[in-house]
Amino acid sequence: MRILIVEDEQALREQLTTFLKGEGYVVDEAADGEEALYYGREYQYDAAVIDLGLPKVDGVQVIETLRREERSFPVLILTARSHWQDKVRGLEAGADDYLTKPFHMEELAARINALLRRAAGHASPVLTSGDLQLDSAKKEVRVADELVELTAFEYKVLEYLMINGDRVVSKTELTDHLYDQDFDRDSNVIEVFVGRLRKKVDPDGSRKPIRTVRGQGYRFAGESA
Amino acid sequence: MKRLGLQSRLLILTLLVLGVSLGLTGAVLDASFRASNLAAAEEQLELLIYSVMGAVEEVDSGLYLPEVATTGGLSQPESGLYAQVQTTDGDVFWRSRSARLSDVTFAPAPGNLIPGDFRFLDGRELEIERFFLSYAVIWENRGEEMELLFRAAADTEPFQSQVREFRRNLWFGLLGVAALVMLVQVIAVRVGLKPVRVMADEVLELEAGKRTALSGDYPHELTGLAENLDRFIEHETASRARHRNALDDLAHSLKTPLAVIRNALRVEKTGNSSVSEMPIDRVLLRDQLDRMESTVAHQLSRAVSSGPVVVGHLTGVRKVAERLGRALRTAYRDKALNVTIVGAQELKFRGDERDLMEILGNLLENAFKYTHSRVQVQVLPAPASHPDASVLVQLDDDGPGIPQEQQQQVLARGGRGDTALQGQGIGLSQVVELVSLYGGELQLGASELGGAQVKVFLPGSE
Repeated sequence: MRILIVEDEQALREQLTTFLKGEGYVVDEAADGEEALYYGREYQYDAAVIDLGLPKVDGVQVIETLRREERSFPVLILTARSHWQDKVRGLEAGADDYLTKPFHMEELAARINALLRRAAGHASPVLTSGDLQLDSAKKEVRVADELVELTAFEYKVLEYLMINGDRVVSKTELTDHLYDQDFDRDSNVIEVFVGRLRKKVDPDGSRKPIRTVRGQGYRFAGESA
Repeated sequence: MKRLGLQSRLLILTLLVLGVSLGLTGAVLDASFRASNLAAAEEQLELLIYSVMGAVEEVDSGLYLPEVATTGGLSQPESGLYAQVQTTDGDVFWRSRSARLSDVTFAPAPGNLIPGDFRFLDGRELEIERFFLSYAVIWENRGEEMELLFRAAADTEPFQSQVREFRRNLWFGLLGVAALVMLVQVIAVRVGLKPVRVMADEVLELEAGKRTALSGDYPHELTGLAENLDRFIEHETASRARHRNALDDLAHSLKTPLAVIRNALRVEKTGNSSVSEMPIDRVLLRDQLDRMESTVAHQLSRAVSSGPVVVGHLTGVRKVAERLGRALRTAYRDKALNVTIVGAQELKFRGDERDLMEILGNLLENAFKYTHSRVQVQVLPAPASHPDASVLVQLDDDGPGIPQEQQQQVLARGGRGDTALQGQGIGLSQVVELVSLYGGELQLGASELGGAQVKVFLPGSE
């Protein structure tokens, strides 16, 4: 999952980046409105966290511009507590949720999680497919109620595929959303992860939850719960 | 450029009006005096002609006029009055003594004068300083008719000196009137503008800190201004006090958590003078930081709210509630809430829109956050039980409601906000602060929907 952080205050921006990277997201940082517009136009994001008081281009304007250019990724705005006018303006411009400063990082993670789920059309943080359960809040995967130990990358691959449901996800898309820009884009690595993931969530190979679509990518073949 | 004062403006205006009106009056009077002066000259010449005609004696050889005519002036040189009798052909056969002695030339006789007609001529038109009157007459002498022209002349000087005299008196008189009017006007302006000067002086005293409000004793045209000024000053004083209190409270309430943190981080000296650090209690640090955060947020919102406004400034309550409702619906999309906002559009809040947004935003956010399925907002006219308020905003939800204990904690305003309020408390205490700043009231209770009910009474349009 690739997230754009737009915050002009360096210390807070770095904390957000470090925290969200630790949560397993791929993070790009922008320090002002212009940079935010550049990133928003150039890359596909799963979500953005935008502070409203930004230099060069105001946060509300950034959101309006991106929405006008049909960038539909969910946006979480950050505002000071007693600034309802800003919150309303931000939400009217096209933001999806707000968080008032100061906030706890856990709260931010929960909001981003909810936005990502909402964007993919899932109401509950727990994604279920047959006896396979992925709890995006706890970042846990269970098969027949048994906890499956996954590495962070394996978890991210499975979560991305499950959130995107029946859609075919290309290897390039997976790489873009799961790794930083400077990552060596060797598609074998993805194949290795997917291979290991398949063994862990479907050890006896009976259900084949992750299908390979030749020449196109992977598709999560869910069974409805 | 410095703008003219009120007094100067009024006086300049009066001066202009006076100048124009007295100038016109003078011009009209002068013209009519000159006209009547000319008429008097003409009348005098007419009488002179009649007297000459009366003195004509008929003798056998023709007409005879005595050497000394009846009218005194005609016989004296330099008397300024002259007469002559001539034929229509221009043959002068008699001149008065005054005319002969002063060698006075008459203006050319007017042609085509019908017998029995007078003709007046102002000699100044021909650069002769005399008035002339000619009278044509058909004179019958012993059965023989002859046409004669009786002519009289008068120097213009006596008449001109009358005009000069009149003018001098006229303009002196008018100037006197102007001076009197100006004097009265100056006094009137000073008396009329006295309240303004008094107000200006009182404002200076306010600036100097010698008084805290205007005296209030003003004519009705200025009462509104004075009252608004007083309200403005009151508002300023209250804001200053609020800022000062917020700062005091902030400083005071940050001391405790700071002390706790300092203690938690202190380096402990052990008995053998080696130094060992206490283990850091992260939970305690975080609690204290939370407390500091909520204190800063609370005091900041207290300090920045603009408070009751001085004049006008009405904000549509339902419009603001609807805007907030739409925005919050976006943020709380997952909850699929049934939200209704009803009420009259024309109910207005007398105050700043941002403050109304803070009040309703915090209340609506709590409702959205804690309700199960319904949020109901009603904008109503305030009931008679609250004469100072004119708008009532009532929010109902079907959430868990606010515990009695917390209701009291929130409503006990004046608290410094460092009593770490949680949940609905933080937003609510801020709302209580703002509402009371506007002289409104906040009531908490149980809703018929099963959750919390919040009633806010606000000042508004009458």
